[in-house]
Amino acid sequence: MICAGVDAGSRTAKVVLFDSDSLGVAAAGVVDQGIDQDAVADALFVRLIRENGIDPSQVGPVVGTGYGRKLIRFAQKTITEITCQAAGIRHSVPEARTIIDIGGQDSKYLRLNGNGSVADFAMNDRCAAGTGRFLELLAAQLGVRLDRLGEIAALSRNPAIISSMCAVFAETEIVGLLASGITTADIAAGVLASIATRVAAMSGRNLDGPIVLTGGVALVPGMEAALESILGQPVAVAPRPQITCALGAAILAWKSLNGSPTPTA
Amino acid sequence: MNDRPRKITLDQWDDRHAELRAAGLNEPSYGGPLGRHAAQGDVRLRKLSFDNSPAALRLWNFLLSEEDRLRDCKARGKKLVGAMKDLGTVPVMVYSLPNLAAFYPDGAWWLPCMKENRTDLLKIADSLGIDDSFCPVRAMLGAFVNQKHFPLPGLLTCSVGATCDDFSAIAQRVESLGFPILWWEIPHRRRPDGDEPVVELPGGFTAPETQVAFVRAELERIRRALADYAGEPLTDELLSAGIERANQVRSILGKLRELAYCANPCPMPALEMLIAEMLAIHFCSDHNETVAVLAELRDEVVRRVRAGIGVLADDAVRVFWVNPVADLRVMNLLEDAGGRVCGTEYLFCHALDPIPADLPPMEALARMALADPMVGSPRDRTGRIVADIRRFGAEALVVSRIPGASHCAWEAAAIGEAVRAQLDIPMIDIEVPSLADAMRPTLRTRLEALLETARTRRR
Ligand code: SF4
Repeated sequence: MICAGVDAGSRTAKVVLFDSDSLGVAAAGVVDQGIDQDAVADALFVRLIRENGIDPSQVGPVVGTGYGRKLIRFAQKTITEITCQAAGIRHSVPEARTIIDIGGQDSKYLRLNGNGSVADFAMNDRCAAGTGRFLELLAAQLGVRLDRLGEIAALSRNPAIISSMCAVFAETEIVGLLASGITTADIAAGVLASIATRVAAMSGRNLDGPIVLTGGVALVPGMEAALESILGQPVAVAPRPQITCALGAAILAWKSLNGSPTPTA
Repeated sequence: MNDRPRKITLDQWDDRHAELRAAGLNEPSYGGPLGRHAAQGDVRLRKLSFDNSPAALRLWNFLLSEEDRLRDCKARGKKLVGAMKDLGTVPVMVYSLPNLAAFYPDGAWWLPCMKENRTDLLKIADSLGIDDSFCPVRAMLGAFVNQKHFPLPGLLTCSVGATCDDFSAIAQRVESLGFPILWWEIPHRRRPDGDEPVVELPGGFTAPETQVAFVRAELERIRRALADYAGEPLTDELLSAGIERANQVRSILGKLRELAYCANPCPMPALEMLIAEMLAIHFCSDHNETVAVLAELRDEVVRRVRAGIGVLADDAVRVFWVNPVADLRVMNLLEDAGGRVCGTEYLFCHALDPIPADLPPMEALARMALADPMVGSPRDRTGRIVADIRRFGAEALVVSRIPGASHCAWEAAAIGEAVRAQLDIPMIDIEVPSLADAMRPTLRTRLEALLETARTRRR
């Protein structure tokens, strides 16, 4: 039986097809989000089934998660990204005790119990600071491609201090820094440190390890190093960090099939 | 007619009202369909859901007819006292005198929500330099200026000192516009030093005897002013009778809270309970009617509990709620997400405790005023919250912050830390503006995630 998790995020839609026999990922995909979130996710879902030669009659329950979860009409159930993220990480990094998730438009921190359930969480979804959007805006300002930001930041000798947490003000600050001759590498390192500082402030400093980093921003090279230096602890990027939440949704779909209660209302 | 407890919309209430009337429902003078309040400007009602009992109808009609009642009081020659930044002390004194009625100008903070910002209250406050960096209670300043919401009282009192900075600034602005205020000071409640005589306060707090004496002296000034204004002495006998009546309200509310927050299924929605609790501090300018309204609500809850029926699913997650919300709709949202309120600390939990009846009345009132959770250290307030969470058996905690409100800048962190250290329940803090529609999806996600986390722990 294939169980599916659909993570309708603010910037991308992710689908994971979970094989309940092998207890592994049968297929997974990520596409850019669109106006019609249901149609975007459905198209990805159908494509993954077709491309992976899955018999549609073998596809069982679907759980929707993420910002747009209520819009996913083909999901029988919705569960928040907090619970799904924890379930996904429990499967892929069972020893993790803290998750830092930095997505396109939000960031979260989850503290996990020894059994992988959520002990505590906090979310920032009201402001671009500490999110992928902040990175994107400032990388564009520097004229640097996002996937090269970490590489360029690694050349920094003296990271710039970006004091404004607000993306709009930070853009203005960068104009000033460039005008005063600060190198692109130093500013790039400052941008990564700024995100890390913001996320650390949300999560508090005394985080239990191991700490894993998930979300699209985990794919930006140098992000985990910036977090490590602010938190003073090792941070590991989760395997396939963009899809851990959808994976958790698929696992919870499978558990609901098993009769295990899922924590929805 | 379907009389099973449930939550219904405003339109459904109007249909039900017609049915109830046809079936012989007796209503007080302020009764009628709830829809009329929306037609008169309280448009937020169209987005709320309500309990379907006649008792809840009466409660809402009572609350929403407050402005008419105040004008009526004035027309009948009753003298009005505006008791500002006062969570349950001066109104008790006011209602001890038969020709005075107190009201709560601070209540204007809900007007921008109720009118969905179709009011000039906040614009007026902005124009007077009290902008959105202040607590939404700044709407009160606009209400004093435009005089569309409450008649001007002949006497205005305001507590100051260990109360919040926002309110003090706003009230000073009110006074600067020509509305004289009789200020009374409440000091920051501190722990007595080793050799100081100690006084026990309601709610389990203590204070040095000198602080209680100071507050008593401040309240004596208020007593004299009230007597002068009323034209008759405010004797100890009158005060004791006033305290007894206030305790009657508190006792009904105590029973109501016990039942509504402990029984399963939940017999009364969070929104109606919030309105009911608010009556403890100002009586909606009619003490006797407050007693009648709350008693009817309590009786309805008793009936439902005995019948084992309620308005929410049996497995709703039990949530303790700290601070009132600027947008009432958020209380509905919690229930839509699968939660229920079981226990609250809406900034005035001391006004729900009985006023000591075995003490001289001014001493009792002074102790009551000093027991205000907001005038002591956050540790005291947190201690009470933790104790109440245990008492009501809450599975999760929501600390709801008010944008711009100075009282709560750091409290969520302090409360969160204590709850984490002493109780194993999840908590979130959320910020709720006067109109939270744009934030509804994110608020819903946080609430749902909290409820999911609590549910996971049940297993
Ligand atoms: S800041 Fe807090 S205590 Fe002060 S008026 Fe606003 S809500 Fe009330």
